[in-house]
Amino acid sequence: MAFAVEMIGVSKNFGPVAANRDVSFGVRHGEIHALVGENGAGKTTLMNILFGLMQPDSGEIQIDGKPVVMESPRTSIGLGLGMVHQHFKLVPSLTVAENIFLGMEITKAGLVDHKAQSAKARALSEEFGLQIDPDRKIHELSVGAEQRVEILKVLARGANVVILDEPTAVLTPQESRDLFRIIRRFADAGMTVIFISHHLSEVLEVSDTVTVLRDGAVVGTRPTKELDEDSLVNMMVGREVNFDRRDRKPISGHAILELRDVFARDDRGLPALRGIDLEVRSGEIVGIVGVDGNGQTELSEVVSGLRAPSHGEIFLNGQAVEGSDPRHMRAAGLAHVPANRLVRGVNATANISANILMGRQRSEPWAKNGLIRWSAVRDLARELMQRFDIRARDENVTVKTLSGGNMQKVVVAREFSQHMPLILIDQPTRGVDIGAMEGIHDEIIQRRDAGAAILLISVQIDEILALADRVFVMFAGSIAGAVDPENTTEEEIGYLMAGGSRSSDQAA
Amino acid sequence: MEVLETIFNVSLISATLRTTAPILLVALGGTFTTKAGIFNIGLEGQMLIGAFFAVLGSIWTQSAWGGVAIGVLAAMCVALTFSIFVVTLRANEVVVGLALNILAGGLTITLTKAIFGTRGSIVSGDIVGLPRMHIPIVEDLGSLGKALGSFTPLIYLAFIFVFVVWVIIYRTRLGLHIRVAGEKPAAAESLGIPTGLMQHIASLLCGLFAGLAGAHLSLGYITMFAENMSSGRGFMAVAVLIFSIGDPVKVLFGCLLFGFADALSLRLQTFGLSSYLVLTVPYLVTLGALFLLTYRQRPKTLRETAESLQLIRREKA
Amino acid sequence: MSTEADTTPTARAGRQLPAWLEGLLGQMVALVIAIIGGGIIVMLVGEDPILVFTTLLRGAFGSSERIAGSLLQATPIIIAGVAACIALRGGLFNIGVEGQLYMGGFAAAFVGFQFALPAGLHMVVALAAAVVAGGLWILIPAFFRARFGTNEVVSTILSNYVAILLTSYLTIDVFKRPGGWSETAPIATTAYLPQLFDFSRLNFGLFIGLALAVGFHLFLTRTSTGYEMNTMGSNMKFAEYGGIPVRRNILIVLLCSGAVGGLAGGVETLGVHHRFMEGFAPGFGFDGVIAALLANGSPIGVIFTAIFFGALRAGSLLMEVETNASREVITVFQAFIILCVSAQVLLRRRRDSNQGERRWRF
Repeated sequence: MAFAVEMIGVSKNFGPVAANRDVSFGVRHGEIHALVGENGAGKTTLMNILFGLMQPDSGEIQIDGKPVVMESPRTSIGLGLGMVHQHFKLVPSLTVAENIFLGMEITKAGLVDHKAQSAKARALSEEFGLQIDPDRKIHELSVGAEQRVEILKVLARGANVVILDEPTAVLTPQESRDLFRIIRRFADAGMTVIFISHHLSEVLEVSDTVTVLRDGAVVGTRPTKELDEDSLVNMMVGREVNFDRRDRKPISGHAILELRDVFARDDRGLPALRGIDLEVRSGEIVGIVGVDGNGQTELSEVVSGLRAPSHGEIFLNGQAVEGSDPRHMRAAGLAHVPANRLVRGVNATANISANILMGRQRSEPWAKNGLIRWSAVRDLARELMQRFDIRARDENVTVKTLSGGNMQKVVVAREFSQHMPLILIDQPTRGVDIGAMEGIHDEIIQRRDAGAAILLISVQIDEILALADRVFVMFAGSIAGAVDPENTTEEEIGYLMAGGSRSSDQAA
Repeated sequence: MEVLETIFNVSLISATLRTTAPILLVALGGTFTTKAGIFNIGLEGQMLIGAFFAVLGSIWTQSAWGGVAIGVLAAMCVALTFSIFVVTLRANEVVVGLALNILAGGLTITLTKAIFGTRGSIVSGDIVGLPRMHIPIVEDLGSLGKALGSFTPLIYLAFIFVFVVWVIIYRTRLGLHIRVAGEKPAAAESLGIPTGLMQHIASLLCGLFAGLAGAHLSLGYITMFAENMSSGRGFMAVAVLIFSIGDPVKVLFGCLLFGFADALSLRLQTFGLSSYLVLTVPYLVTLGALFLLTYRQRPKTLRETAESLQLIRREKA
Repeated sequence: MSTEADTTPTARAGRQLPAWLEGLLGQMVALVIAIIGGGIIVMLVGEDPILVFTTLLRGAFGSSERIAGSLLQATPIIIAGVAACIALRGGLFNIGVEGQLYMGGFAAAFVGFQFALPAGLHMVVALAAAVVAGGLWILIPAFFRARFGTNEVVSTILSNYVAILLTSYLTIDVFKRPGGWSETAPIATTAYLPQLFDFSRLNFGLFIGLALAVGFHLFLTRTSTGYEMNTMGSNMKFAEYGGIPVRRNILIVLLCSGAVGGLAGGVETLGVHHRFMEGFAPGFGFDGVIAALLANGSPIGVIFTAIFFGALRAGSLLMEVETNASREVITVFQAFIILCVSAQVLLRRRRDSNQGERRWRF
């Protein structure tokens, strides 16, 4: 029997970078097929090609054994494909029903018939057991509910092949389990599911077949029951990875950063931080985990001075910080690796030297009497490139031509080399390859051993558990609880991430 | 008191509606580009081109509506050029808008000289202006009725178009898709809605209304073309669009305010005030409104009060 | 391991032309396209494009007087262009240079005819007045941009209209020279900018413009404050994150831009007209903005683009005498150049990621 979906020899290059190389794999009818690989292995690009969002440089796609050309999402939707994107493609100001029927509106006399759309959306959500109010606006919904809308969008288009791109990245473990139940229901009903992930445990738990990608090429396709975690890691990385925890140190230092009863509002004016008490001491790494969107962003903005707290006090190095200004925080002793390096972390159009200079442009020996001494800056840049293993021809290379990992190392090098007493690190290794990741982890440990107080925020639980000395879980803007990184379990963290609290609930 | 009465009377109301119409038309055009996520400072030039070609068309076709059609077509050509550069070639919208405004200014003067041999203006008996309407029932309603019942047709249309544009933007598929293209292009693309095409369509609709605005200036408001006769109305419309976020009803109120300022300044001239100073009034009102409303929309740094703290804490528990 | 991602950018950089050369090539291609487009327009209005272009060239460079005339026209454009560059490099638009130029021109003239001061000092005070007037004229838009994020493109455009009307009012209704046209009394000779040659009104203002352009270039590349400003213009969020006082700098950048715009008007008044005349400098401010855009915000580049535009202006005067084409043909031509450059450089950029680009860059 022909495959439901088959990709044959698909290649795609972005400039000189090969995202997909001669990728071939097939998905059977009614199976849950997991597509796994590290960040940057080419999973998302491949699915964008399958869905018609990008065109391959070469190769062929077959649906039910027939070759097709995916000119646009319209083609693929017409062929029964549906995609739930990692970053939801919902319009915040529109209602659930409007989003579900976007592009296939029900009209009456040339005008959009909101009543009919709403009724049909309700019927659909009941049919598949996906609870949702069709008349709510998207911006009023929780992340889990938004994902249900995305799935309904796909179902409303009559999809029989559903592609889910990293669906669990934004969910709590409990929500993920609900999602897996829904996916299984789809497969039982004869639909085909392609499921992209890099979480090995959930891949093993939910899928029937696994295809592994590495560096844009297929390593192999196997039935899930033949695999275990070790063999999967081997296929993904091509070598053994040591995710062992780093040495921890008994905490001895004095408090560098103190937050006392801190509240903050988000951009829409809604409460985002609700009474945070937190202390980070010299020589320790404090890790913050939580599902994306539970106040971690606002916490990092408040600490870095980019957002004013609406209540509470912040002390840095024992002195109270007034107002909100990154300048004051930096003067008081902050270094900061931001979550999105391209938005805040670098000046992408400038060269490495100019990026390294930031924060030093008024201090000797890099500047004197208001004039910049570029030779000193270039020397520093060269030294840091060597120490942090930044791979580029020289220090005059424009930063935007660097790979994600090297760009992140530019940020880390600039911030770590200023020897500030407090380092705030938000998503240290997002979109960074494994080699660079290990290097960055080494540097974090090194700064801690040199006595820096480090506040580490990450959505990667394993990263936090590997590095942090103390770990707090955030939920709905407050600290749901502390866990012991040595002895905690995924269940315990998941319970806190989903908003459960414990009797021994103590923060800081 | 008497002075106030002479300033604020029936004819001021009718003058306000008259002066509101051109800026309202061009601003309604801008709602489409604003909703499609394009910052369009090219409105001024589209309007000017519309005004010039409306006069030209009126002479060629010896028909006012023929002139309007040609003016609109010309403005839509400029609008298409704008969207080709901004949407297809992804050029900077401020730069392209600015360049097209300059182009419109230079081109109309160059063509005026080439065709009519005059510098700066076209005044000719051959220009067929838009006729005044006579709406019998309204005209019978006293002096106000007389004033309101005998405008040129584009004035009535301008106000009717507020409703039409509202329906297009909020109730039709086209309007929905234009809004989605502006608010969340990724959502549109993933469903096969071509955002680029939507932005081109929005720009063309914008050109259509800008052209009407221009045609109204040169065939309805007065019957002539003068160098740079749009005199900043396109930029005022951009200001209105900034603080109305492209909502047609808010656009109407914003434009009425400027129409009133315009009418008032014309009125004040008859009181012996310097015409130069009086002419600054509409610009100053626009600037004042822009500053005031962006001040009100400023991001606020909130401080919690005792009550709000209590509320948040209770919510949490 | 993604070795290809680590090595290829370097390899690619090696194959590329230097950025400035590639940029220059781009501007040249744009220029050629614009010349063709301008030629078509000239043909449409029934003129011979070759004749029009040669007349333009002769009018601009035909003799030493004509070359001086071109530089004379270029002088205010260079200064206005630097004014626009200051805003652009700080990540902002100042489309109000025209208005600042009018205000500066009037302020300089006012000091020139109202006060009696020793030669030289008088000129300096008058120029200072122009600087202050230009700065004051952008103060409110600058304040609201810095404090509340009010769009400065629209507010500076609209303030142009007010400035032009206001200076007309002052000239005609308040300070009109009895019996004269729409102009003020002449300024005292003590406030004149010295002329460079006796055959042309080309004056010391040219050197002011050149010094400003070179000075601003050095400021951007050599000083700590210039580094901060340039960084702000490239990526406002990065600057904020790095502790640069962005809001304060927005205010300062726009004020400086406006002040230089005012200076352009002062130089024109004190160097050329020696009085304030209604509509004394039509379009110089806009030409400055376009010159700055064409130079991609580079102050050194502005020297060349401004001289180019000055030559066009000078040439267009002769062209209008000797052919039937209107001198506004050159604004059409300028618009074509900007359009071509905006698209052309863009085509180049589409190969790269466009994140973190300057807001105004095209």
